[in-house]
Amino acid sequence: MFSRRRLLAGATALGGAAFLPSIAHAKGSVAAAIYPGTWEEAFRAIVAPALKKKDSVDLELQPLFAVDQVAKAKAARGAPPFDAFVLDPGPRITAIQDGLFDKIDIKKISNASKLPAGLVDEWGVGVNAQVVGIAYNPKKVPAPKGWKDLFSEPWVSRLGLTGFQTTFGTVSLIEIAKVFGGSETNIEPALVELKKVLPKIAAVGQPAAMPSLFQQGQCDVMYTNTQTVATLKGRGVDIEFVKPETGAITFLTTLHIAKGATDVENAYKYIDIVAGKEVQEALTKPPYNFIPVNKDVPVPSYLPMKSLDEMSSFVRHDWAKINPLRAGWIEKFNKEMAK
Amino acid sequence: MRTMTPPSPDGAASPADGGGKRSVLAEWQLALPLALAFASIFLAPLLMLVGVSFFNDEKITQPGFGQWAKFLGDPFSYKVIADTMLLGLKTVCATIVIGYPLALIYLDASPRLQKVLIFIIVMPLLLSVVVRTFAWIVVLGREGVVNTLLLQLGIISEPLRLLQTELGLVISLTQIEMPLMLLPLISVMSRLDPNLRDASSALGASRWRTLFKVIVPLSMPGLVAGCLLVFASSTTAFISQTVIGGVRLIYLPLLIWQQSLVVFNWPFAAVVSLTLLVSVLTVVSALSYLGRRSGGYVHG
Repeated sequence: MFSRRRLLAGATALGGAAFLPSIAHAKGSVAAAIYPGTWEEAFRAIVAPALKKKDSVDLELQPLFAVDQVAKAKAARGAPPFDAFVLDPGPRITAIQDGLFDKIDIKKISNASKLPAGLVDEWGVGVNAQVVGIAYNPKKVPAPKGWKDLFSEPWVSRLGLTGFQTTFGTVSLIEIAKVFGGSETNIEPALVELKKVLPKIAAVGQPAAMPSLFQQGQCDVMYTNTQTVATLKGRGVDIEFVKPETGAITFLTTLHIAKGATDVENAYKYIDIVAGKEVQEALTKPPYNFIPVNKDVPVPSYLPMKSLDEMSSFVRHDWAKINPLRAGWIEKFNKEMAK
Repeated sequence: MRTMTPPSPDGAASPADGGGKRSVLAEWQLALPLALAFASIFLAPLLMLVGVSFFNDEKITQPGFGQWAKFLGDPFSYKVIADTMLLGLKTVCATIVIGYPLALIYLDASPRLQKVLIFIIVMPLLLSVVVRTFAWIVVLGREGVVNTLLLQLGIISEPLRLLQTELGLVISLTQIEMPLMLLPLISVMSRLDPNLRDASSALGASRWRTLFKVIVPLSMPGLVAGCLLVFASSTTAFISQTVIGGVRLIYLPLLIWQQSLVVFNWPFAAVVSLTLLVSVLTVVSALSYLGRRSGGYVHG
């Protein structure tokens, strides 16, 4: 299928230099990669109309998981299929190392001053924070206090796990490793403990399947983010979020401009509007339940913190250290968990 | 481009087209676009895949056999290959056991009922595999339809573990892949001459004897085609395998996904992909060889 963007790219190539200035200055469109599911729905419903209204720019969303975006941009070798990435910390580091981003000119993001320190750097802009902890079904099991509880009854036989494929899975397993004596670079203790209780565990699933498994009662405890909890709650599922006693985990979701992007100016407008108060506020509302990053937006009451500043005490991870080890961890998890 | 000239009424080539040789050439040229498309969108990527597998590093800069050595030197790989092939074979067996009687019912049904049956058979294909797969979570889950029913009937006291087991996966794949077995089977069986069955019973054969000596051998081409499709499709059914089977049941497609999209080790992913391709082709060739032999038996 030919998208408008591909046609434009084709026209540019065919039309030659004479066409270039007019296309470059067209209000036109911006192609942005977006996570499938809630993110896509939310950006289609809120960001696209806002961008159209304010800047007359059409937002074309391409649903792709973070790893798929990096894989596609790498495979495209300099002619990325979209102008803007949305990434978690792990894939972000990979993309920086592979030179897939253009540097950000902070002056072009008018809302940058409204974001807490550390959210904007030379490579991208943090537009959403995720908070990861433990979710449980209050009708089936008592509230666990922390990661260690997940390995004893009554939780262990109702526990749903995911591996190292996702950011939230990786950081949760690291935190589990830490309570059993491991560290950010040593997840061995987590695997040892998991192996001991493996026959009892209710489910070891694909990350995307976990909300369904929880909803269907296949498992009643799992590690996940506040957004999943809020969304499931909105659907009437009995679910509560617990901040583990060792601290909730947080990481940023960042927007980036792809190197070789065709609509760089529009990509800036897109990033700016996502960081803006109106969009951030709308995104925090059900059924989207995003965590806001703009200081002018109040923090929703169900979140485990009162203000954005409080999040500085949450657990963070260094993905530059994690990334090189992750392939080995995934392999190990496969072998240890395989039936 | 040359145009094809219609043959003259007496069947001989007209002098204008320069004889039969030229029309053969024209036919060959007609196949050219397909051949080019096939070469560019299938053969070239396949060759690239083979090429990429012979690199030692993730950045694809150092040629070598390192990834092959790593994969083939790990006993875990053989377990995964065997599990994947076994899953395919189990699904094939289950689809035959359920599908074949269904095809027989179809054969004996009235034309009106046949229409209803074909609709029911094709219906799963109209739904996305993702939807069908997630529906199976609802059916097989701890509080799913099957467990609730069995608990209420008092047959079991504790919910059965069906999700994330190979049994549950085979059950769901059987339903998901069933149209691929039934459609070729029915298309072959409905072409069988009904007189053959009558002749068989007139000659004194029982219904079972007629089934095994006449109908099954004659329907073999459809059965083999169905087996090939179900096998190839179930061994590569990544979504169903990972969502219903969970990640403790490890099959080759999961390894490919992890290596290509999570850790970006494309050479290793290429090695696993080629292994899957070769293993599936081996079993598929064996199945079609068996099919040809049984076909020979019917006519021999």
